[in-house]
Amino acid sequence: MEKTANQRLYFDFGEVFQNTKSFIDRHNSRQTQLPQKLNANHRATAELIIRLYLKQLNKAAQLDQLDPENLPGFNTYNESLAKCKGCTKRTIINHRERLVNAGFIRKEQHCGQGGVEIWINPEVMGTVKLSTSYGDNVIKIGQLASLFLDKAKNFHPLVHEQHEQKNNNSKVDNVDNVIKGVPYGHESGKATGTSHEQDKNTEENANPASKRQEKAPEKLCEAEKQEQKPGAGRIFLLSLIRQFWAYARKVLYPDLVLSEPEEREILNLIWESVYGKLHWQASEKDWLNYQETAYNRVNMVARWLARSPGHWIPKPHIYFHPNNERNGFKKTWQWYVRQETLKIGIRNQLLLQQVKAEWQQHKQDKGRFQQKTRLQLFRIQQKRLANYRDESLMRAYQQCLQRCLHLEKLKCKQANHA
Amino acid sequence: MLSEQMQREALSKCIVWFYDGNVRTFYSLDKTHKRAKPNQALGIRRLEKMLMETFKGQWETAIIYENKANGNELARFKRGARV
Repeated sequence: MEKTANQRLYFDFGEVFQNTKSFIDRHNSRQTQLPQKLNANHRATAELIIRLYLKQLNKAAQLDQLDPENLPGFNTYNESLAKCKGCTKRTIINHRERLVNAGFIRKEQHCGQGGVEIWINPEVMGTVKLSTSYGDNVIKIGQLASLFLDKAKNFHPLVHEQHEQKNNNSKVDNVDNVIKGVPYGHESGKATGTSHEQDKNTEENANPASKRQEKAPEKLCEAEKQEQKPGAGRIFLLSLIRQFWAYARKVLYPDLVLSEPEEREILNLIWESVYGKLHWQASEKDWLNYQETAYNRVNMVARWLARSPGHWIPKPHIYFHPNNERNGFKKTWQWYVRQETLKIGIRNQLLLQQVKAEWQQHKQDKGRFQQKTRLQLFRIQQKRLANYRDESLMRAYQQCLQRCLHLEKLKCKQANHA
Repeated sequence: MLSEQMQREALSKCIVWFYDGNVRTFYSLDKTHKRAKPNQALGIRRLEKMLMETFKGQWETAIIYENKANGNELARFKRGARV
């Protein structure tokens, strides 16, 4: 299946449901013994899984390019599915087992506290359609930056969707091996990552091996492995985090005195909340661009603080906490997007004004393009505006041009009538 | 007062010199709940809160150390302020 820059995967619910139905019917027709057939209850579980999975995939497809041949798995929890379906956990486990035997579920991966990841049979997923929806301004502002939106990486939970809550443990689109944690002493050349994730509630590592990792971090060479992968080196990325914290501390918390463990904790929080756990495999240039946006956000906060004595920000361990939705640093992303959108809007208006003025001058045989033909002027302007790589600007330019020409025609007609 | 076991398990301790001449040692409580992973930063923040709120105006010097033999100094407070 081909994909273009603006074409994104879209899974049609109706089609996949039809595929599900025909798959189960076909399976049942092949089975002779009742215990091996899938009854209406199993069918309902399969449809529930499909519904939640498609919802997540379509949302993911809008935000990121998905490979149709290598779709991410469906990360879920037995408890949550059971709650959705109104049955017990055991029933869901039994149904899943039956679906695996039937070949509906291709593969299962148990992730302990992280739930279970399920890969559905590609036959059921069927063909994929392409939609041509444009991304929002966030994506226009920066591909990398858009990742750190809530919606970008940690997708809303499939199974908690009906409660309107967030599942921070969702792993869809995060299937790559990622290294987590900011090793504190990497400056001394011992860059080591803790390849585990902190539990949101307990701040405890789900992975029992984490204790071993903490005791002997020098034995790990995760950072070195990461460096062999394409994209920015881990040490480089960690230095970005340190630089960001140094800058934020200087600007926002100039009088703060912190001990080593406290600073380490804050770095980990920044790694998680500001840098999205370094999940994105981007080039160094992209990361540097993102770093600039992060600095801009810090500057915005500093300006906001200076504007009124009533403005305040909490202590860094609260301010940079990934779960702080109320007064955390995360919120500044919205400020930044708004500011950049406004900037782009104003820039486009100025460019269009300039274009208009050039056309008017050209009509009056004035200005620097007076020697050019209309086509040449059009080409020059088109080339100039194309440099901005903004489709909305080009569309506005075309409209502006049509309006100019239309007005010109009207004037000609009026002159003829007169 | 923490139990002896909790004192042993604490990651940091705070020695406080009071104005009345007393010297006391406090141990950090580093867990959010019984089975949580110990968080030293949390323990330090709690000790700081104790100094700044519970014993406000009663101490002259307080020093937080790692709770182990020859543990490093982590934070130092003088007359109500962190230095």
